[in-house]
Amino acid sequence: MFNLDYSWLADPVYQGWLIRGTLTTIELAFASSAISFVIGLFGALALTLRIAWLDAFIELFVEVFRNTPPLLQMLFFYFTLSTIGLRVTDPATGVSVPLLSAFACALISLSLFGGALCIEAFRSGLDSLPRAVTEAARSLGYSRWQRFRRIEAPIASRICLPALTNIMTNQFKTTSQASVITVPELMYYAGQIYNDTFRTAEVMILVLFIYVSLVSLLSWGMVRIERALAFPGYGRAH
Amino acid sequence: MALLVTYADKKRAVQLGIVLAVAAWIGLDAAAGGGEGWARVWARLPILLTGNGSGWPLSGGFALNIFLSLCAMALAALLGTVLGFGMLAKNRLVRVPCFFVMNFLRNSPWLVLLFAMLYIIPFNIRLFGISIAVPAFVKAVIGLALPTAANFAEIIRGAVQSIHSGQWEAARSLGYMPMAIYWRIILPQALRRMIPGWMNLYALLMIATSLATVTGIQDVITTLNTLLAMENERVIVYFYITALFLFFAFCYPLALLARRMEQSVKGDSL
Repeated sequence: MFNLDYSWLADPVYQGWLIRGTLTTIELAFASSAISFVIGLFGALALTLRIAWLDAFIELFVEVFRNTPPLLQMLFFYFTLSTIGLRVTDPATGVSVPLLSAFACALISLSLFGGALCIEAFRSGLDSLPRAVTEAARSLGYSRWQRFRRIEAPIASRICLPALTNIMTNQFKTTSQASVITVPELMYYAGQIYNDTFRTAEVMILVLFIYVSLVSLLSWGMVRIERALAFPGYGRAH
Repeated sequence: MALLVTYADKKRAVQLGIVLAVAAWIGLDAAAGGGEGWARVWARLPILLTGNGSGWPLSGGFALNIFLSLCAMALAALLGTVLGFGMLAKNRLVRVPCFFVMNFLRNSPWLVLLFAMLYIIPFNIRLFGISIAVPAFVKAVIGLALPTAANFAEIIRGAVQSIHSGQWEAARSLGYMPMAIYWRIILPQALRRMIPGWMNLYALLMIATSLATVTGIQDVITTLNTLLAMENERVIVYFYITALFLFFAFCYPLALLARRMEQSVKGDSL
């Protein structure tokens, strides 16, 4: 039934495409995860200030990004930022070109999507701190910032770590959707290759395996980090 | 009478304000010349929603997304239940392969899996000498159901394992058979914890149906792209906002409901 033909894989051109695509995927995933962590951290910190109007805005941001498809978000950002958005005139040719590349648009879109998920994760991490711990820190005379830096952040970051693993792997998987807006990542090059070779099933199986192994590697690494950081005897014992 | 304004009240007031501001902005924009854009969207809305200019019969658009998500969820429930109980099996020969399959499916991107299914499933299946064409819709259902099934199975496993071991011991000491323990004691309690997870999963699946455009079915994104090809650049933004709003309007109430159920389930851990 299946006669898979992988002879095209011997071609150095295709090998180069696959490697370049994989590197772009990794780059996009890590850059967008890093930005989402920053967004999530500041968002969750802003929520602890308990300012009603700020809270309302953040909640709206989170809900809108969580409840709409990342694919549509990406198309929307690509269109508004790149196609009709900021343009610069290339001094050499005099042609007006978009300021932001497809990669930049995908990065912005994915970071906002991941940021919304991160705000939720960090918020629930800070919420689940035992009340007694914060009270103990207060009674010991820690200032607000010291309390956050020395007591709350170390504990809360460990509580959120499983959720962050989820977000990071999810982010990695979502980067494949950036191929729709022509970001040259793995999925995009996969399309290029099977357009050349017509070996659609073979290419997709290979790409599926590349993604699964990269995501598995990532989640395995995150679990290792979780184990290494865990406070001995604190929290759930596995 | 003193007005007692709580934090939640204030927050809700601000949110109402934002929604009103957005509505006012849309109104102003419509008055200032954006009205043409909204008029275009309004004229095309039946196609976006039902894939049909007159709105009936349903042949695609957002209605197809909903139908697709329901079909995929049904298939995922079936596969996920088998996989979930496979992971809970005592026999290593059953448990380990189930874990492997679950992890494989959970770690693969939805879009890639969908593409893979599109090309791996043959165009024609020969059954008893009759060749049956496999429509793109069936491939989309299978492609979306696979990762959903893995998450479905994980929810079952998580809920069953979250039941305190004392329940098992008590049931065993009362002389229940293993199957009876599952049916009469563990599952009734675990089901309560599974339902919010399943609802969240369904919302996630609904969002993922937007990817089904790659299979070429006439879903909302395919329809949108076809429509956009006919519109000028100024109007396109209005179409995107409308499509985003359609998904939001469908998924946000589900998320709210799931969260409320989660809250009600939280207290009953024993």
